[in-house]
Amino acid sequence: MIGQVLGHCRVVAKIGEGGMGVVYRAHDEVLDRDVALKVVKKGVGLDQTAGQNLLQEARASSSLAHPNICTIYEVGETEGELYIVMELVEGKPLHVMSGDQGMPSDAVLRCGGQIASALARAHDRGIVHRDLKSANILVTADGQVKVLDFGLARQVGVGKYDAATRSFATMQETSVISGTLPYMAPEVLRGEASDYRSDLWALGVVLYETASGRLPFEGQTAFEISSAIMREVPTPLGPPVPPGLWSIIQRCLAKEPMQRYQRASEVQAALEAVQSARMTSADRAPEPGGPPTTILHQVRHLPVKRGDFCLLVGTVKGAFLLRSNRQRRKWELGGPYFHGNMVYAMAYDNRAGRRRIWASTQSYWGTQLRSSDDFGKSWTNPPESPIRFPSDTGLSLKNIWQISLGRPEEPDVLYCGVEPAALFESRDDGNTWSLVRGLFDHPHRPRWVPGNGGLALHTIVLDPAEKQRMYVAISAGGVYRTDDGGATWKACNRGIKVTHMPNKYPEFGQCVHKIVMHPAHPGRLFLQNHGGLYRSDDYGENWNDIGNGVPSDFGFAVVVHPRKPECVYVVPVESDQFRCTCDGRLRVYRTRNAGESWEPLMRGLPQKDSYETVLRDAMTADSLDPVGIYIGTRSGQVFASHDEGRNWQRIVGGLPAVLCIREALIDDAPASTKAVARMKRSPAPQKKSPAKSRRKKK
Amino acid sequence: MPVTFNIPSGLREFTGGQRKVHVEGSPATLADALSALWAKYPGVRDRIANEQGQIRQHINVFIGEEDIRYTGGLMSPLPSGSEISIIPAVSGG
Repeated sequence: MIGQVLGHCRVVAKIGEGGMGVVYRAHDEVLDRDVALKVVKKGVGLDQTAGQNLLQEARASSSLAHPNICTIYEVGETEGELYIVMELVEGKPLHVMSGDQGMPSDAVLRCGGQIASALARAHDRGIVHRDLKSANILVTADGQVKVLDFGLARQVGVGKYDAATRSFATMQETSVISGTLPYMAPEVLRGEASDYRSDLWALGVVLYETASGRLPFEGQTAFEISSAIMREVPTPLGPPVPPGLWSIIQRCLAKEPMQRYQRASEVQAALEAVQSARMTSADRAPEPGGPPTTILHQVRHLPVKRGDFCLLVGTVKGAFLLRSNRQRRKWELGGPYFHGNMVYAMAYDNRAGRRRIWASTQSYWGTQLRSSDDFGKSWTNPPESPIRFPSDTGLSLKNIWQISLGRPEEPDVLYCGVEPAALFESRDDGNTWSLVRGLFDHPHRPRWVPGNGGLALHTIVLDPAEKQRMYVAISAGGVYRTDDGGATWKACNRGIKVTHMPNKYPEFGQCVHKIVMHPAHPGRLFLQNHGGLYRSDDYGENWNDIGNGVPSDFGFAVVVHPRKPECVYVVPVESDQFRCTCDGRLRVYRTRNAGESWEPLMRGLPQKDSYETVLRDAMTADSLDPVGIYIGTRSGQVFASHDEGRNWQRIVGGLPAVLCIREALIDDAPASTKAVARMKRSPAPQKKSPAKSRRKKK
Repeated sequence: MPVTFNIPSGLREFTGGQRKVHVEGSPATLADALSALWAKYPGVRDRIANEQGQIRQHINVFIGEEDIRYTGGLMSPLPSGSEISIIPAVSGG
């Protein structure tokens, strides 16, 4: 074979031999590049039809442009021999890298993430690998993974057991089943229909093998191996394999496909989450010089105690704390925290005995998510930002627009809506975060367009009753709903008008400014659009205009009364062109009948020369009785009503432009849960001595 | 000759308060020097570069007095003993 020319490739040397054929190094004499050339063996059960199918499949695979997939350049046939010309990858097979002891966990996570990313791309294109194994995965000298032979296994069966390469494939009479036995999923062995979830099983086997140096299902004969796959549970992997990695492997190796991850992107996200947890976890040596907690000096701190009621105010130049008591008559101002940073999102987390303030900060040093357990005296400042776009996305975090707490019964769950539009989720109290790939991979995403403030996912609404359901709003993408915990998302914009497209009622692309739901009435949602006030009574399937009697249906913020599901507040502004309160009068509008009619609330609000804007998160309601309503304006004023909107007072003026307001009712935390909450924080706060240089400069 | 980084005040909480950080081993390019800087002080990395490894938009890096945007970016060659300054841009409202 050496020296022969196939197509326009001259064979140079033999590289290896596998079940499917022989691989050669060759030189493409037309394009003058070195390539790998695989010649499929004669007599491997390949009849003419199967040969044609192999060609088709190889052609389909050649469309998979992905950094972790070995590129197929050409497939052809000459003198009855099929050959495949592909990228020449200089690397070692993964099973050689793993050896008998397995690879270090960081390397397993890195490689695993790349393999999952490759599978995700192929599965999106409808291509299943069907013979994923460590011998089919090469790792280059700089750590890049290349998965070989995508989609090539389907038509080719091999009937021998090769102990050296651990390659074994069963072949029924018509060569329907193929693959490599130790990597085959139970449903494949049963002869049932297999799909991409069989690849995820094989990925589980590869991860197990790479982490431990041994296969999860072993045996001396094919029968023993099959039997182990069908019935046995693999030996658990303990330290140094991190528990997070072991649980990912277990889920991949669930015997029933329904019990596994349903998408490769979910495995990828899970591996990345474990990886980033290890980057920041406390079991590493402390980072030199990088205090996890920053104490802000020259800031006015308020002593906050049980029974106090506070407002968290994020502005374009920092965050402030307003303290009062449950009567809400007198207010004191603390701050500014994060001098000069934009604080788009804040939240108060009192679940599981915490008293934690969350804030997102944006400056020329990037965007950080920070928290304080002592009402602003010290703030976490993680050396490595935990919210980050994975490298395969090519994106970088611009801003965090929304911090949302998970349901009360999931006290360690948090969500962040970010720019560029994406949703991140944490299941460990904010220590590690993963990109919600189900939404990120939505086919609409490339066609979302930035609104005036950027392309942001700014609203997250959880259904309190149905744990798998949540809504997000994107400017300008519209409303999306998941009913399966984030795996898939549906555009829910029917009836919402757009002004910026020829089709006024498109499936998606609406510039939705805010949506709210009343927890007691989860099927009903209220929506403030970029022009248009809407209500849905069917979980967002259809929206109906409810702008009956407001002076303008343009606005940003919308808030629902915490106890009265029919009672909703908005602050209309004049128009898209003039985003200021109508006629220079600052008025909040309230409906008490779910939008049938609206009434202006103005007593105590400036009614002359007051051209204000209340941004989408700059209005909130508290949970006290009677309910308090709060608005913050772009001119830096905060107005409060402690009687549901009837009377208002200005509680502070002269702040920088207000971006968000959130309430914090300071309850007593039971001593035992407080201790738990503290223990779970990692790394533990290290208080450093005051130093002028630590203060953030404006 | 080691290269020297001038650390701006906003990042000194990640360098133990140091204004100047020396990186030994004669790094050949700016990328090599930055890698050595954040191996030493990891918190600096995410403030200077985004998660895709690009220098943040409003951060300027100078080798001597030359803005690296005009000398080859991260691959800018580093003369022995270079002084590298990290300075936030004049921007914002």
